[in-house]
Amino acid sequence: MQQLNQYDKLFGLKSLYKRLAALAVFGVLVMLAPLVIKDLYYLEILFLCHYYVILACSWDILSGFTGNINFGHAFFLAGAGYLGAVLNINFGLQPWLTMPIGGIVAGAAGFIIGVLTLRLKGPYFASVTFCFGALLYKVFMVSSRTLGGEEGISGVQALTNSPLGNFYFSAIFMMIVIFVLYLIAKSSFGLILRSIGENEMASEGSGINTTYYKIVGFVISAAIAGMAGTMYAHVQMHVGPEMAHDSLSGLILMMAVVGGMGTIIGPVIGAFLLTLVNESLRFLGEMRLLIYSSAVIVVILFAPKGLFEIISQVLRRVGGQERAK
Amino acid sequence: MKNIEETSMEPILEIRDISKAFGGLQAISHFDLQVGSRDLVGIIGPNGAGKTTLFNMITGFIPSDSGEILFKKENITYLKPYQVVGKGIARTFQLVDLFKEMTAIENVMISCFSHRAKKHKVRVGEKPWETAMGYLEEMGLGDRFNEKVKNMAFGELRLLDIARAMATQPDILLLDEPFSGLDNENVEVLSAAIRHMHNKGQAMVIIEHRLKDLLKLVERVVCICFGEKIGEGNPKDIMCDPQVCNAYLGGRSE
Repeated sequence: MQQLNQYDKLFGLKSLYKRLAALAVFGVLVMLAPLVIKDLYYLEILFLCHYYVILACSWDILSGFTGNINFGHAFFLAGAGYLGAVLNINFGLQPWLTMPIGGIVAGAAGFIIGVLTLRLKGPYFASVTFCFGALLYKVFMVSSRTLGGEEGISGVQALTNSPLGNFYFSAIFMMIVIFVLYLIAKSSFGLILRSIGENEMASEGSGINTTYYKIVGFVISAAIAGMAGTMYAHVQMHVGPEMAHDSLSGLILMMAVVGGMGTIIGPVIGAFLLTLVNESLRFLGEMRLLIYSSAVIVVILFAPKGLFEIISQVLRRVGGQERAK
Repeated sequence: MKNIEETSMEPILEIRDISKAFGGLQAISHFDLQVGSRDLVGIIGPNGAGKTTLFNMITGFIPSDSGEILFKKENITYLKPYQVVGKGIARTFQLVDLFKEMTAIENVMISCFSHRAKKHKVRVGEKPWETAMGYLEEMGLGDRFNEKVKNMAFGELRLLDIARAMATQPDILLLDEPFSGLDNENVEVLSAAIRHMHNKGQAMVIIEHRLKDLLKLVERVVCICFGEKIGEGNPKDIMCDPQVCNAYLGGRSE
């Protein structure tokens, strides 16, 4: 029983509350940022950080946990973004309606693709998601009459009246996504997703319907990406084919890998870091891509489990030394 | 050959005339087996005889080419592995197949989240890690609950694999070479655990190469050779069966 009490501390509510409190502190710091950062350009960059955090975390809940790598996350955000734009411009639907609709439709698309592909093992899922993303990009490019072709669709209603409003909206949305996904990750659902990532056959042998859990994970992942895509469309007041480009899916994947896959917090670190580094190197022009890519390779080589693992190890050592004192 | 009447009770697992071929290799050929609800059956046979293939077919990891597998009179021949577990059949693996980056208790907890374990929950309101801890303690791994699987000894992994399988609350447990890779001391520990589970009424089928240790445990032995059943009976009789001796024991009985 003493051992169980110890486990309760490690795994139970006490440790969960501590971690949620740490997340809450992070949330407060995010909300206080505009008190220090007044420049609209920097607020715009912080909005991008929030946007990428949402995308990287939503990617992580399926791909990071189960190892089923989604190479077409942009499919969901771009599809929902375009849908939101069309519903807003053609039917006058407000952002508070287009965002949930975008999420539901993206979730439904995730369900259909998941049912078709997630029962298969190996690279099928990765290939199919990649193809869906590439297909949507082409559809947007050639649909010049209905979807604006290369130009995309402009004149989408703004999300809020000011950049500060957009900042707060995206920050709150990001914090809700992190909290919800973190709780999911720490629940029995998260443990099962992790078990699938480690050994799907053993998971099935333990009585787990792995296909069901992967599909539910994919629906959650796609729905959140869809809502983020619609939010982006309203903030930029424009949607374009670049939203569906594979490079965006690759960037989201890279953020999760650099931060630490299968951790939810890792992709938060990865998204903030890569967005800020990318923006801060902008003065270097084309050279920035070389430095940026090299930095990513170095991180992957020396921290294959991501930066979150290194930070956790440092915190554990510091905590151990404190206790020893 | 042993009849249904000779098994300890009404058979819960019935394998009827199943066959499986991989290309030109006939792994299992017209195989029949019946296991009662409190039986402890051993399966022996030379390497490549088809023993693990038989387990894979029963548990849904490999579909059979013909024949049928009945569990509690229900046809489970083409069910998926998780559905088979849901019906009440759990197994361990010859090469211990666990979640290596997880702790021992997390490995067992996964089984506690299976549909069957939730349905057959012993105590209402019990936390999943309390249930998992119970199974770990039963296998003598209580003090290793928070150890990552990748850091555990091989003997401990065998016990953990059984705890994981037992947490699905099976009616019948299939153990695939549980003594393989263990020293004599660990074999004794594991044998005691198996005996203890059987005394509590757990039906089990054990594939094993260590004949001496297996024969001390089981009530009935089935011998397979080249996918065919060549003998079945109590341990004493089967060791005197000339066909079994020729095929498996190289012509001598132990």
